[in-house]
Amino acid sequence: MIEIQNLTKTFGPIRAVDDLTLKVPEGVTVGFLGPNGAGKTTTIKILTHLISATSGKAYLHGVDVLRSPKEAMSHVGAVVETPEFYPYLTPTETLAYLGRVRGMHTAEIKRKTDELLQMVKMEQWRSTRIGKFSKGMKQRLAIAQALIHEPDILILDEPTSGLDPRGMVEVRELIRSLKKQHYTIFMSSHLLLEVQEVCDSAALIDKGKLLVYDSIDNLKKLTKFAKIEVSVVGSAEDALLAKIRGMNNVRSVDRATGNVFIVTYEGPTDERADLLSGIQGLGVRISGFSPVGLPLEMMYMDLVKESR
Amino acid sequence: MSGESIPHRKLPGDIFQIPIVWSYELLKYLRSWRLIASVAIVVAMLAMLYILPPALGMPYSGTDNQVYVQVQDFSALNITLPGLPTPYGIGAINKSVISAESLRVYLDGIEYPSAGGMNWTYIQVSFAEEVPSFMGGLPKANVLLFMQNISGRVVTATYDWSVSTEDFSSLFLSFASILIILAATFFAADAIVGEFQNRTGYLVFPTPLKRWVLFMGKFVASMTAGLLVIVLFYAGTAVLSYAAVGDVDDDFVLSFLFSVEFLWAATAVAYLISSILKGSTGATVLTFLMFMVILPIVDSVSMFAGVKIEASLTFAASVIGYVVIDPYPIDTHYDEYGISMYMFYPEPWMAALVCLAYAVLAMALSMVLFNRKQLTG
Repeated sequence: MIEIQNLTKTFGPIRAVDDLTLKVPEGVTVGFLGPNGAGKTTTIKILTHLISATSGKAYLHGVDVLRSPKEAMSHVGAVVETPEFYPYLTPTETLAYLGRVRGMHTAEIKRKTDELLQMVKMEQWRSTRIGKFSKGMKQRLAIAQALIHEPDILILDEPTSGLDPRGMVEVRELIRSLKKQHYTIFMSSHLLLEVQEVCDSAALIDKGKLLVYDSIDNLKKLTKFAKIEVSVVGSAEDALLAKIRGMNNVRSVDRATGNVFIVTYEGPTDERADLLSGIQGLGVRISGFSPVGLPLEMMYMDLVKESR
Repeated sequence: MSGESIPHRKLPGDIFQIPIVWSYELLKYLRSWRLIASVAIVVAMLAMLYILPPALGMPYSGTDNQVYVQVQDFSALNITLPGLPTPYGIGAINKSVISAESLRVYLDGIEYPSAGGMNWTYIQVSFAEEVPSFMGGLPKANVLLFMQNISGRVVTATYDWSVSTEDFSSLFLSFASILIILAATFFAADAIVGEFQNRTGYLVFPTPLKRWVLFMGKFVASMTAGLLVIVLFYAGTAVLSYAAVGDVDDDFVLSFLFSVEFLWAATAVAYLISSILKGSTGATVLTFLMFMVILPIVDSVSMFAGVKIEASLTFAASVIGYVVIDPYPIDTHYDEYGISMYMFYPEPWMAALVCLAYAVLAMALSMVLFNRKQLTG
């Protein structure tokens, strides 16, 4: 379990984290969302003993990170900001180093190394010095090192950062498999799709303050707005778009192409049926429609806009 | 994993984690160009020091035949020699060590026997006030004392000679401090700052390693790499000393111990600089300049101004070369061409104390700074 209590971190006049309180229950995967400079990485750095807190508490498995970092870190595997590795070591040596400082025995290290390097598809590079690795290879190795000691808690800062699309998919699959093994995972990400697909819950912060923290399903319900892309037969005239803008619950209408436009509206699914009927009622023949944008993305944009 | 509730393995104690950090940190140096470069520098230094003097006409041993000896009237010198009758004349042979058994003296080309010391005798005289021989001084003189009046005669001598073990050692060991400075620059200057600048801190800080444990592991690794270089230099010097003059100086080990202590102090100062600065290049350059320019300027000015600054680390380190000299040189003062120049030598006990103070204080301070330093970049 991760527990953050009234955590504050200031850098001079800037409050990077502002009285943040958050609890991640055991076995749950929580996404940590927020725009750039929101305080996500600062929070993660405090949790992983990279920086100190100005005030507040942070517990990992009930152990105070700020007071007993050694004990607290023994339960944790962390990937923070695509770490750099010692270029003169190989993946095998790196995992052995990090395993040995955690008290792992040689046989145990070897077994876990074989297993993890296979899992992150780095087996063929196991004896190559890391100095020659690409960012994506380092990111995969970073995930392996976080798991070498079979931690209870995984703290991941932008775990798919620097990976190509295939690598991103692989890491997401990896996190899903870890989730099935009941790891407690706390991951920050800019990628809302990633969080929506992988996490059970999400916490959204901005300017260091927690805006919302709930299950993904509940967060989706918080979304006030939805978007629908509508294709019509023939051209969508400006006059038509103006009439649609004037309809109930419609917030905006934006032309995509000559016969395609996107309507942003407020309301539940029923509202969409009424909206489409209303458009047809204007004498337009609708050739197709599809919802666009993720519910989480809409919620994110909405809450961040409100907080600013 | 909460579902399986794996019992946590016992973490190694702090002290037991230090050798783990040390072993992997040491690989950094063993696999880097820095160690190779250091070894190459040691080999080049030893080769140059060994080869250059003979190549420039100053071999380490040889036989001089019928060398002219200038004999001065001893009574004019107005000195007495304890335990000896007052001789009539005195002459000097300008060599480090001469073999008494091989010494032959000639008057007008005809061998002049010693006659059990009744005609002449040979002694070696030491001058503690003289600058060391590797600096161009003559702290030891080979003296021929003539008991009979030989004024007006041409005196020559034939003898086997060699450079003394202390002259040989002091020539070589006076360069040990340069190697130690290079070792501190190569193996310590970026040790702390590198974790932040190269972002490797993101890998090792979120582990159950206390910062001081990490510091000590790294420090001992830096010292080990430096020691490898110093041991190689001293071993090479010892081998060459045996080859050239048949022995090593009896203070050779003492000089080595001072070198180890200076390495400790220099490494600690390099770690302190590394803990303060934010860039590896800056830390490396400043470490090098500190020992090769800044402190030596202080030492030179102190000699010019006549103020002995014992607290300078490079001044204290000069004991490494001086300690093999017997008797140990003493501070002197020259007035020449209207300029006063002072020659200062660190007291060995004071040099040991100064190095120890630098080592302990710089280590403590850099450990505190490393502990407080945050990975914010």
